[in-house]
Formats: sequence, C-alpha cells, structure tokens
Amino acid sequence: MSWLLNALAQGSMIALIALGYTMVYGVLRLINFAHSEVLMMSGYVAFLVDDRLLGGYQHGGTRGVLISTAVAVVAAVLLGVGIEAFAYRPLRARARGATARIAPLVTAIGVSMLLQSVAQLAFTATPQKFDPRLAPPVGYVVLIAAVVMAGLYALVHLTWIGKAMRAVSVNAEAARLMGIRPSRVIAVTFAIGSGLAAIGAVLYSTTQASIEPTMGSSIGTLAFVAAVFGGIGSIPGAMLGGVLLGFLGELVKFTSFSGMKDAIVFLLLVLVLLFRPAGLLGSARARRSSRRAWRGRARTFAPSTGGIRRACAGS
Amino acid sequence: MTDLLRLSSVEKRFGGLRAVGGVSFDVPEGGIFGLIGPNGAGKTTVFNLITGVYQADQGTIRLADRELVGLQPAQIAAAGVARTFQNIRLFASMTVLENVLVAGELRRRSHFLGEIARSKIAREDEELVRTRAAELLAAMGLAGQEEAMATSLPYGSQRRLEIARALMLAPKLLLLDEPAAGLNYGEAETLKEQIRSLRDRYELTVVLVEHNMQVVMGVCERIHVLDHGITLAEGTPAEIKSHPKVIAAYLGEDLDEAEAEA
Amino acid sequence: MKRVPAWVLVLVGCAVCVGLDYAYSATVAADRGMKFWLMIAVACAINVLSATALNVVNGMAGQFSIGHAGFVGLGAYLGGAVAAYVAVAMKIPLAALHDNLSFVQSLIIVPCVVVPVAVVCAAVGFVVGLPSLRLRGDYLAIVTLGFSEILRLTVLGTVEDTAKNPITKAIAALGGSLGYRGPKLDGDFVGIPSVAGPFWTVGIAAFAVFLALRLKRSGFGRALRAVREDEIAASAVGVDPARYKVTAFVLAAAGAGIAGALLAIKRDGPGIVSPANMRFDKSFEVITMVILGGSGSVSGAAIGAVLYTAVFYLSEEALNQAARAGVGFLANVDAAALRMALFALTLVIVMLVRPEGLFGERELFEKKRVAR
Repeated sequence: MSWLLNALAQGSMIALIALGYTMVYGVLRLINFAHSEVLMMSGYVAFLVDDRLLGGYQHGGTRGVLISTAVAVVAAVLLGVGIEAFAYRPLRARARGATARIAPLVTAIGVSMLLQSVAQLAFTATPQKFDPRLAPPVGYVVLIAAVVMAGLYALVHLTWIGKAMRAVSVNAEAARLMGIRPSRVIAVTFAIGSGLAAIGAVLYSTTQASIEPTMGSSIGTLAFVAAVFGGIGSIPGAMLGGVLLGFLGELVKFTSFSGMKDAIVFLLLVLVLLFRPAGLLGSARARRSSRRAWRGRARTFAPSTGGIRRACAGS
Repeated sequence: MTDLLRLSSVEKRFGGLRAVGGVSFDVPEGGIFGLIGPNGAGKTTVFNLITGVYQADQGTIRLADRELVGLQPAQIAAAGVARTFQNIRLFASMTVLENVLVAGELRRRSHFLGEIARSKIAREDEELVRTRAAELLAAMGLAGQEEAMATSLPYGSQRRLEIARALMLAPKLLLLDEPAAGLNYGEAETLKEQIRSLRDRYELTVVLVEHNMQVVMGVCERIHVLDHGITLAEGTPAEIKSHPKVIAAYLGEDLDEAEAEA
Repeated sequence: MKRVPAWVLVLVGCAVCVGLDYAYSATVAADRGMKFWLMIAVACAINVLSATALNVVNGMAGQFSIGHAGFVGLGAYLGGAVAAYVAVAMKIPLAALHDNLSFVQSLIIVPCVVVPVAVVCAAVGFVVGLPSLRLRGDYLAIVTLGFSEILRLTVLGTVEDTAKNPITKAIAALGGSLGYRGPKLDGDFVGIPSVAGPFWTVGIAAFAVFLALRLKRSGFGRALRAVREDEIAASAVGVDPARYKVTAFVLAAAGAGIAGALLAIKRDGPGIVSPANMRFDKSFEVITMVILGGSGSVSGAAIGAVLYTAVFYLSEEALNQAARAGVGFLANVDAAALRMALFALTLVIVMLVRPEGLFGERELFEKKRVAR
C-alpha cells in the first residue's frame, strides 16, 4: 500500500513539472528547455528563503516552508515570464525562413545552459538539502498535487483566460482576430507553468532530491518524458504521463536494472516518439500532424514551427 | 491518340471527410487538360494524389503503363511527372540557378563520392546540367537573373522559375497548379501562349488546375469539372460552358470564398 | 592567375603537418610556451573536425541534432580501445605507453583506429538517422539527445557484471564513471596511448574541411539544402529526402567518431576515456561553434570552432595566471561555469540579433548574394 502511495506521490510531482512543458508546447509549439532551470532556480529560492531568512526547521517550521514556497512561486513566475519576454518573444518577431525553425530551439537550449551555469556560479555545485523533518507526509504530496491540478483544470476549462489559451493553441491567428492577444496568453501560460514547477520543486526537494545546479536536467528530463509520454500539448496527458512514470520508476527498483533507470527512461522516450509521437492522449490534431510527419510528407508546418510563426503574426 | 495519364475511381479520405470520391479521367498524350471546380472541390488533392504527396485510398493512377499509387513522390518525379505549386514553393535560400539545378540531380550518373572527388563523369554531368538549366531559364525569360535569390524575384517571375525547375526534370507530364493566379489580363494571355509553346517544344502533356476561366477556356482541349470531390462533367470548353450542372455549381458558390481564393 | 595543381597543395599540406608534428615532439622537452600553443592547435583541429561534421547535418541538411556528443563519445571509446589493443599487439613496453608515442608508431596506430571508428560510427549514424524520416524539428532533436544519453547512462549505470552475460561484461569493462583505461596487462591498466600529434589532428581536420566544402558545392550539397528548405518541393523534383537526410547523418556520425577517437588518442591526451565526453553540454559546445560561425557555412563552422576553443583555453590560462598572481576573488570563481555562462549568453544574444550566425550560409571570401 505504501508502495502504491509512493509511486503516486512520485508521479504527481513529475506531473506538476510536466505541465509546464506541455502548456508551453501547446501554445507555442516550442520545447521550453529552460523550464527545468526554472524548476531548479525556484528550488534554490525556496531553500534559501527557508533556511537563511526563516531559520529552517527550528524557527520556521511548516509555516516557513509555506512562506518560502509562496516566494519561490513568485520568483518562478517572474523568471518564466522574463525568459519568455527577453529570449523568446523577440525571436518570434524576427526569425524568418530556415532559421525560424531552429532559432527557438537553440535559444531555449542556450537559456537553459545559461541559467545552469549562473546557478553554479552563484550557489556552487555543492548540493543543498532541506531539513528532512520538513518533508510533508507522502499523502499530503499527492493531495497537494491533486488540488493544484484540479485548480488548473478548472482554470483552463472554466475561465476566460483558459478559453483564450485553448484558442491560441488551436490557431493563434484566428484567436487574434477574435480579440485575444496571443502575447498576453503566452505570458500567462509561462507564468502558470513556472508556478507549478516551483510547487513541484519544493515538494521534490523537501521529500527527496537535493538542490543542485543540475537538478533541473535530471528531474526536468523525467518530467519532459512524462509530457511526451502522455501526449505533449495535452494537459490530462501530462498528468497521466507523470503518474505512469512514477509507477515505472518504483517498479524498476524491484528489478536488477535499477542502475539503468535513467537509460530506460530515455529508451522509453525514443520509442514513444518513434511509434506514437502524439503520446497516449495527444489531441486528434497533434496525431494528425504527427501522422503526416510520420510519412515524411507533412506540409512544411513541423510541430516546432507552425505555432511560433502563427503566434508571431499575432504578437 | 493514346492516353498518357489514366485515373480510375480514385478515392481519398481525410478522417471522415471524403476529399476525392471516385474520380476517373484520361489525359491524352500531348493534350492540354483542364481540371476545374469551385473551392474545396479537390483539384489540388488530385494533384497531390498523382504526385504521391498523398496516397490514394482506392483506385489506380497510371502513367502510360506504370502504376503510380504506392510510389514515393521522388520516384513519381523520376517517372516523368513534374508539377508546380499553388502557393509557390521555391527553395528560399538558394539562387535562381540553384533552384533549377536541384532538379537536375535525378539525371546525375555519379555518386556523391564521385562528385567530391570531381571525377570525369561528375564534371561532365555538372556541365550538362548547367547547360540545360541555362537553356530553360532563357526559355522562361529569366536569363541574366541566375545569381539572384529565388525569393527576391517578382511574383510572376517566381511562377516562371517554378515551371523552369519542373521542366528540368524533362517530364512527360506537367501539372500546373493555378499558374494564372495573380496575373492580369495581358499576362494571362501571354501565359496561354507560353503553355502551348512549351507543350510543343518539350513534347509535354499538360494538366492545369485553374480558376481563371479566360486561361482555362482559351488553352485547354478538354476540361474535367469536380465538385465536392466528385466528377460533375467532362468535355470540350464549349460543352463545359453550357453545361447546366457546371453553371449551377459556379453560381452557387459563395462570393466571399471566391474572393478569398483570388 | 594560374591555379596551383591540387597535388602540390596536398604535398605542401602534408609537409607542414609533418613539420608541426616534429616541432611538437621537439618542444615537449624544450619550451613549455610553444607546447601550450601546439596543444591549443591540436584541440582546435579536433573541434574543427567535430563542428564540420555537425554542420553537415545541422547546417546543410537542416536536421537539428543535439546528440552529437554521443557519436564523439562512441568514437572515443572505440578509438581508445582499438589504439590500446594495437599498441599492446605491437609489443610497446608498458612504460613507453604512458608517454607520448613516436611519429613512426603513430603511422601504424592512427590509421588502424580511424578506419574502423569511421565505419562503425557511420553505421550507427545510419540507425540514428532513420528517425529523421518520420520525425522533424524538435521531435527529431529529442531523439538524437535520447541516443547520446542512452549511451552515456548505459556506460555510467553498468559498472559491474551483474547479469553475467558478455554484453554487460563488455560494458562494465568500460569502467563506468571512472572512465576507460584500456585492457589490463600484468594487472595494470594499459591506458589509452597518446599518439596522434598535429600531423594527424590538423591534417584530418583540414582534409575534412576540404571535403565539406566540395560536398557543399556539389550537386549533392545543393540537393541537401533543397531538402532543408522544402521537402515537398524537393521530392517533387526527384530529390528523395530520405536518402539525403540519412546520408547527412552518416557523414556527420563518421566525422564525429573520428573527432572522438582523436580526442582519446591525441598527444598529451588524458590516457583515459570519460563518459563525460557524451554529456549534453559537449553537444551544446559543438552546436555553439556551428551556430556562432553560421550554420551551413563550412568555413563559418570551422572559424566558430577555432574561436570557441581558443577562448576556452586562453581564458582558462588567464584565470590560472590571475589566481597565481594573487587576484583573490578569481581563485574562488568556478571558471568552467563562468565560461559556460558566457558562451550560453553569447549564443542567446547571437540568436536574437543575428540568428544566421557570423557568416550566415556564406563562405569566407565569398561574395554576398543579392539580398531578398
């Protein structure tokens, strides 16, 4: 039973982070490599606020963790929106032709490497750890993640901004004609995704992982695989993918391949991309365009370009 | 006269939508054949089926005696089918000359290793390809612009460059997708002449998708009319002009759509 | 102007490289300063080779690979192993193996390494290139990253022969995170021989640049660029995108493999092959070189590689000297992280202000084409 709960907790943390990848991909058709670094940075912010300002377990207690989580969420939102505004947005307005295809990808990777090195300069490579007594019980982790995801679902399906997000992801140009400003929707998407990543980062770093400059690439990769697994661009897909990966991770522990866990995750990623690129819950549209890509006969809108170009016309 | 291209009961579905439903027609060798119909009739889809961009769900498409269904687009091009695109698709970062040279790749005898080593065969091939490209560019009125970037050309020249590129394949069959789009009256008249003279000079069979009735009626020897993916009528221009179903289909067309297409 | 015959150029090139090689050996004992520059030259040459290879697939074919380090690492492990076994077969005494080998010995060992590495890496490149027929853009990029990460994590994750089968045994022999140090001889690791001097590194790199230039100017290169611009239009004129894309992957893999092998067996090399060679930041480095120079431009990628490598080593040297001279705060700075931050920042800025890189697709000394 506790095994089940553990797997569920693992999965829901992965899912929280995977949502950021999937939402950005949904509106921009861009794999936001820097998302994992937003996760890492917010982990640091939460740790430093809790440990240095609020006095860690002795003085801050659970209240300290809550406050530092709030600060981390704000910081993550600012960072995510900042990255979008300074690195991605100018690109959408400028890049043309063949460079339009590759430039966003290169920029995303560049920003990711930049943040990782900056973290190493600022915080050194030495891993930091929350006081283990601050870890919430496993059940709480699942509960928190479930509540946050339910909130997100409500936001996307019941509110105006959620409707706008879905509209932009279907067709940014048409959305613009309907009076939606794609640039604003994109910023909100980055904000929400980054905020979720911050919550995921705090849950992760209080319960198990230490905080280090490379934590983004290890945990972020896992989350990215979850997003692809569930169908990148699909919000329920990211949740499902996260939970499935959580179970997979716990299952591998029982086999003699435990040392190969990360390699297996990547193998899974490659196989999913090759044989079911739209993932388990990929939208019909994604499946269609991927099927076209499958045969090597897509019109030129590759998954990475269409959204950007369309969005670029809008912003 | 024998038929060069024969489509029989060709069908294509996209999900639940039947884009082309059982279309059959024969194009005689050396003919100029028109394919017309209102927006969304499936004309360009038929082109994409012939050239292998889409795979037909049912039916056969034969070029002379060769079945084209199931072949890759590049194989179909090699079999002698060349085309232009409705929304011009030139290689953007390449020069006018390079755009045409690419289409000569098919005739090259040497492997790329031979090219790197600059073997005798490779050099002869390159010479041959360049000579032919220069001829075609001159024939399409693009001489002197070889080194310009393809996308820097004016619109009309880009359309002609696309035709030159298609002819570089030395095709038997040339598919032109709306060659008159965006041309004024005078240019359209010239285009009619050009299509005829190209057909005679390069011994082509031409299939034309076109909305411009001035061009279609003036140059096509036979016309096939599609509506919602099915055949409405086929005949000579005079027969089509007076065909009641065709008139109904065109009058029923939304004015907005017609404008959007233009 | 009368053209110099090609064979004269080749002969002169070979003579220069042999000269460099002897200069290298001669200066090992004599002059440390000179050796420093020669070491940079060797490192530059290897990176030029690696960047030239990546440029074929990323620049010319427009297929964005971010798993280049996987091929480099594969070449390093394979090349290191072959070199070690050949050296053992040549009965070179263990003591001599830990030092630089002679130029004459390199004439035997290096060809024995380069040929099988190129063949094996080309074959693996073929397999990794196959997904490019089905996937494009970022999806393809992720598959290439997956390839290099699977290689790296497999080496890292298999340190002992737990499953008791030949495959895990072979992988475990690679030494996991400790790195590969060749086979054992009398209970002692042979180490990877340090054998390839400037003759081989600079020579092979120059040859690769020459080949890449010819490739770009050939009909094949033209078709490759056409595929990059528009696959549908390319296939409509008889250019089969599948063949060209996979060939690009094969060429890039072979080049990267040779670069990796040279990295493992270069003079004053590490004597060890580390799985860190396959880390994503290594792929990122090569991507930076290609993009800075201008993807699609052979000379651009080469110049990007030289710039990157030179800045890399010179900044390290400068920081070391500053630290030695007692500039206190510099001693505490993580030089590697600082360098990476600066390179990443440069890359992002280049993407924003000049996304086509320094040269765009043009070559050095090539006239600018009529702008659109």
